[in-house]
Amino acid sequence: MNKLEKKNSNFLEYFFNISSLGTIGMFLVLIILLTFFTAERNFLRLDNIRNLLFFGSEFTIIVIGAGMLMIVGEFDLSVGSVLAFCSFVFVRLFAMDLNPFLVTIITLICGGVIGMINGLITTKGKILSFIATLGTMMFWRGITLLVSGGIIMPIDTSGFKFFTSSFIGEIGNFFPLQAIWLTLFAVILGLILHRHRFGNWVFSTGDNEKAARSMAINTDKVKIICFIIVGFLVAFTAVIQTLRLGAFSSRVGTGWEFKVIAAAVVGGTSLRGGRGNMLGIFIGAFIIVIIENALVIARLPYEWTYVVFGVIILFSVMLDLFIERSRKRVI
Amino acid sequence: MSSNESNSNSKELLRMAGINKYFGKVHALEDIDFKINETENVGLVGDNGAGKSTLIKIISGYHRAEKGQIYFEGKKVRISSPKDSRALGIETVYQEQALAPDLSISRNIFMGREPATALGFLRKRVMDEESMDALKSMGLHLRSPNINISTLSGGERQGVAIARAFYFEAKLVILDEPTMALSVKEVREVFNFVNQLKRKGISVIFITHNLHQVFTISDRIVVLSHGKKLVDIKKKDTNVDELSEIIVRGTIG
Repeated sequence: MNKLEKKNSNFLEYFFNISSLGTIGMFLVLIILLTFFTAERNFLRLDNIRNLLFFGSEFTIIVIGAGMLMIVGEFDLSVGSVLAFCSFVFVRLFAMDLNPFLVTIITLICGGVIGMINGLITTKGKILSFIATLGTMMFWRGITLLVSGGIIMPIDTSGFKFFTSSFIGEIGNFFPLQAIWLTLFAVILGLILHRHRFGNWVFSTGDNEKAARSMAINTDKVKIICFIIVGFLVAFTAVIQTLRLGAFSSRVGTGWEFKVIAAAVVGGTSLRGGRGNMLGIFIGAFIIVIIENALVIARLPYEWTYVVFGVIILFSVMLDLFIERSRKRVI
Repeated sequence: MSSNESNSNSKELLRMAGINKYFGKVHALEDIDFKINETENVGLVGDNGAGKSTLIKIISGYHRAEKGQIYFEGKKVRISSPKDSRALGIETVYQEQALAPDLSISRNIFMGREPATALGFLRKRVMDEESMDALKSMGLHLRSPNINISTLSGGERQGVAIARAFYFEAKLVILDEPTMALSVKEVREVFNFVNQLKRKGISVIFITHNLHQVFTISDRIVVLSHGKKLVDIKKKDTNVDELSEIIVRGTIG
């Protein structure tokens, strides 16, 4: 095989491995449909796109972490509750007149520690992460409601222009900075996942944990680090979301746990671990966000979102099963 | 067990003396002595529950014996984790556990030992080229180092796992039922790989249920039964019929 051919086949294989063509196709079809079939072309209106960008970025920042966690073979159902708890921590510390950047760092550490606890329960306690994080999901929501009293707590950031604009500022009065943060995190995680040795440990652990362990990979540690990354990203989202909303609400993040998983699966991540890629996860998250947005601009009653997402989750799981089966046939 | 024995044979690679292992009340291994010389191929035979996998798990660091010593290259060693075992130059290829099917060949060969830059980023080209070289030296010619393991045949998969052991300069390769669920043609392929290892001076412990395979590939045959060593005999001193007779009866003579 000459050099050129080798390069070519590498590129093709890389492309087929890395990009889930189905996900990109779904994304494009969705965009085209919404562009032409929404009332008064509402979907393409600038303020709607801006909404999509900042709301989508908040959601997607969590999805990229959760997607990586799914590749390593674990789930985190507690993301929504931890989001609420970290928001509370942030607002509470903010009200104590500490330096806002310090408050942010403490919030991020808090998220990381909560992620680590999830990881420890799962790996050292040998409890299925689906169950373990179902427990922590209820636990952190309960704690948040208890300590906050369930009330909405406003946050006054007027004295900290530089602080707020470095997280939720706008470039050219339009492009939200959240999207830049998201891109930054996605690129870093993408590089780690696909180009770094840690990424190879993540895939190996998710694909065949026994093989990884017999190759002296510390699979527990790999998993715990993935849990910590999720916790960190959830805390980051808590900060930017709270700043955008200007208040803490104990209701934030409800229902996100399954939407996050649906997004990763739509993005081509296997529910059994070992398969997935950052680009797909990224696009999958935006597919979910756009569908939710479409329901809103179509002025469907909010209850419909449950129905639609129920269908999407089932559809994506069936898609995952279908892919798994057709791959087995190839073997 | 005197240690003089190990000194008298300079070619000895691994020796286990008086190995005992309990799982609760079950006496899984009873005073097992086991040794293998350099470039030797030992076939390890026995029924399910005979203690074969317990014995190799002690060598590869998954289990620890309650009693007994292990000598490697004449020196007494402690193997308390798979890492220790690998550091000595022992590579264990478990069937079904050796490879990650959804990862590429080169990512599998370098799993856990990826060549990387100072920041930990993979040296992809090094991985790809070295993988292909390692496969070639096993006599295995595959299209590209980037194809997924799941697209390979069972024989090719064993080849990749064995090539990995070879690449990392193992002195002893343990093959756990490498021919299970393989076709006749694939078994022949695997035998080829095993013979390549021998030619390169690497010792092999070959575990199987199949006596005929052991007679084809091994120099010496060790039979375990109910946690005890039943037979330890050179191939040239016995034959398939005699050995199967012994195994069926469960005792010697």
